[in-house]
Amino acid sequence: MIGIIANPASGKDIRRLVAQGTVFDNMEKVNIIQRILVVLHYGGVKDIYMMPDSFHIMDKALCFLERNQKVQVDVKELDFDLNFDQSDSIKAATLLREMKASCIITLGGDGTNRAVAKGSGDVPLLPLSTGTNNVFPAMLEGSVAGLAAMVADKDMTRECLVLRQCKRINIYKNDELVDIALIDAVITDDMFVGSRALWETDSIKEIFVTAAKPDSIGISAIAGSFRPMSEAEPGGLYVKIGGGSFRTWAAIAPGLVRPVPIREFRETDYDTRVRVETPCGMIALDGEREVVFNKNDKVEIEFTDKGPRVIDVQATLNAAAKKGIFVDKEVATETANCPGV
Amino acid sequence: MKLTNNDLIKLYGDMWYIRHFEQRLADLFAEGVLPGFIHLGIGQEACMAGTCFNLGDGDIIGATHREHGVLLCRGVSGDAIMAELYGKVTGTCKGKGGSMHACGLKQGALGNNAILGPAQTIVNGFAYAHKTRKNKKVAVSMFGDGAANRGEFHEGMNFASMWNLPSIYIINNNGYAISVPKSKQQKIDDLSARAAGYGIPGVSIDGNDLIAVIETTGEAIARAREGGGPSLIEFKTYRWRGHFEGDPTPYRTDEEVAEWKKKDPIKRFEKILLERSVATEKDMKGIHDQMLAKVDGHQKFAEDSPWPPMSEMYTDVYYYEEGSDQK
Repeated sequence: MIGIIANPASGKDIRRLVAQGTVFDNMEKVNIIQRILVVLHYGGVKDIYMMPDSFHIMDKALCFLERNQKVQVDVKELDFDLNFDQSDSIKAATLLREMKASCIITLGGDGTNRAVAKGSGDVPLLPLSTGTNNVFPAMLEGSVAGLAAMVADKDMTRECLVLRQCKRINIYKNDELVDIALIDAVITDDMFVGSRALWETDSIKEIFVTAAKPDSIGISAIAGSFRPMSEAEPGGLYVKIGGGSFRTWAAIAPGLVRPVPIREFRETDYDTRVRVETPCGMIALDGEREVVFNKNDKVEIEFTDKGPRVIDVQATLNAAAKKGIFVDKEVATETANCPGV
Repeated sequence: MKLTNNDLIKLYGDMWYIRHFEQRLADLFAEGVLPGFIHLGIGQEACMAGTCFNLGDGDIIGATHREHGVLLCRGVSGDAIMAELYGKVTGTCKGKGGSMHACGLKQGALGNNAILGPAQTIVNGFAYAHKTRKNKKVAVSMFGDGAANRGEFHEGMNFASMWNLPSIYIINNNGYAISVPKSKQQKIDDLSARAAGYGIPGVSIDGNDLIAVIETTGEAIARAREGGGPSLIEFKTYRWRGHFEGDPTPYRTDEEVAEWKKKDPIKRFEKILLERSVATEKDMKGIHDQMLAKVDGHQKFAEDSPWPPMSEMYTDVYYYEEGSDQK
């Protein structure tokens, strides 16, 4: 069974105003879902569940597929009441995990995948980027994502499915695990959650990142500009912002470039809690202000290798092609040259 | 955006001021005291208080008949607004406009335009004047999701975009155009997507989150002041009352209303004030009571005010040049 979680709210926040972020229209999400479903349909996947949402992405996609391509796909909606916030993605991921989904396709940005990761457990994720800051999800064509999902569903022996184990950041407040992040946890002296996104570097005091890429945008790109770290490299990076060492610059949102003074940085091992030095403020997780902490709170950050598992689309499809998963063996006439026969 | 504790306390007071004022209107209308129609914005206080927080002297805002709160937050006398709704001569329009036309031109509040749509083009005139005078002032149009389907909305945004005017379009999307739910009005979920058609930024945010409203309008207004041109902001919010007082609201369920009441912008803001030790429960109760007393005073002022004399019947019908008998 394949699960799909498409966040109708991604790609709409204040970064359209303070940066050059474009509105990611929900109709494009409908288009992406159609591309995925067409491939799943032709791949013979029958069992598909999707998160309900305020825009009725699933209904629209199914309606257009039937009208324009004469394709009828049976997709069932997960049965739960919506809160119209990120708890919907968590709930949907939890249900899909309990239903033993072979993979979950996500449409959103880093924030959406963080919410999904809170509920998905060991179920492999196939993240497609439709957000603003996208380090975790990839820009991937919907049809190709459909192919990879089909392999995840059909490859029962797990010969073809190639998974990448991701890292995770644990946030502890007064010794209690209060939240997680997949890419970055940013400590700011902001007082409020407000419009959630971060775009003022003045308020940033400390940064914890699992992946730092010079070819990405967002707060993690600050670390990526001087100390690249891949998802495969163990541990994470701690960066303290402020004068004293050197200054770098990075695109912290689409088209929003800011200079950032760096006081120090260091690699941090897995399973080692690092105490946050900033006395009070807000922790932004994967680009969104989330956790409030006050003067008397003890806040600690920890990197682990127990994040979600993500499908390596290219490696998976290569292996599947070599195994002949896409070959229609019933009509093969020259079996000697037919992969997988 | 850095907000001081004084800012936060003031904003908290503003929201209670709006709510008490609106609730009083509901009560007075039910008692048959207020004439005409009343449309209330209870539940939408954060949209009004947060937006007005970022406006200064000389800025203009044109809203609808649901935004009495905009007048209050722009500093229009609560006595005069209440008297206007009573139809008394001390009202903002000498009692001739009522809820539908109450205004405060000196405070840059164009008033509660009962025709939902024209404000979206009218504000452009002010914005054009601001631009010509290079005074870094802005013009804001605040309206509902239903009005966002009118021609003036598109006309106004196109004009503002082409002339790069300091106009900010704010949609208070409360889910219903009179009785028509959002799902039967527009095929899109986020009305901010319409901004792309005019080459301007569009943002959709939680309109019941006061801080998010302040941050977003603050950025849009700052951008407009610096010559960055217009923006479109959609506040996702909800009106607790019917479209008008007396509306039996057969088009929505009690459960839906109850769900939205859980997202009360005032209660959410109280949580922040407590969390950040800005105010105690006692402080907040004091502010609540203070605002209630203020509204009591407005009601008394309106009750004690005289009705307009018959001689007022034909005044203000035509515009007279000052010092002239020319109409």
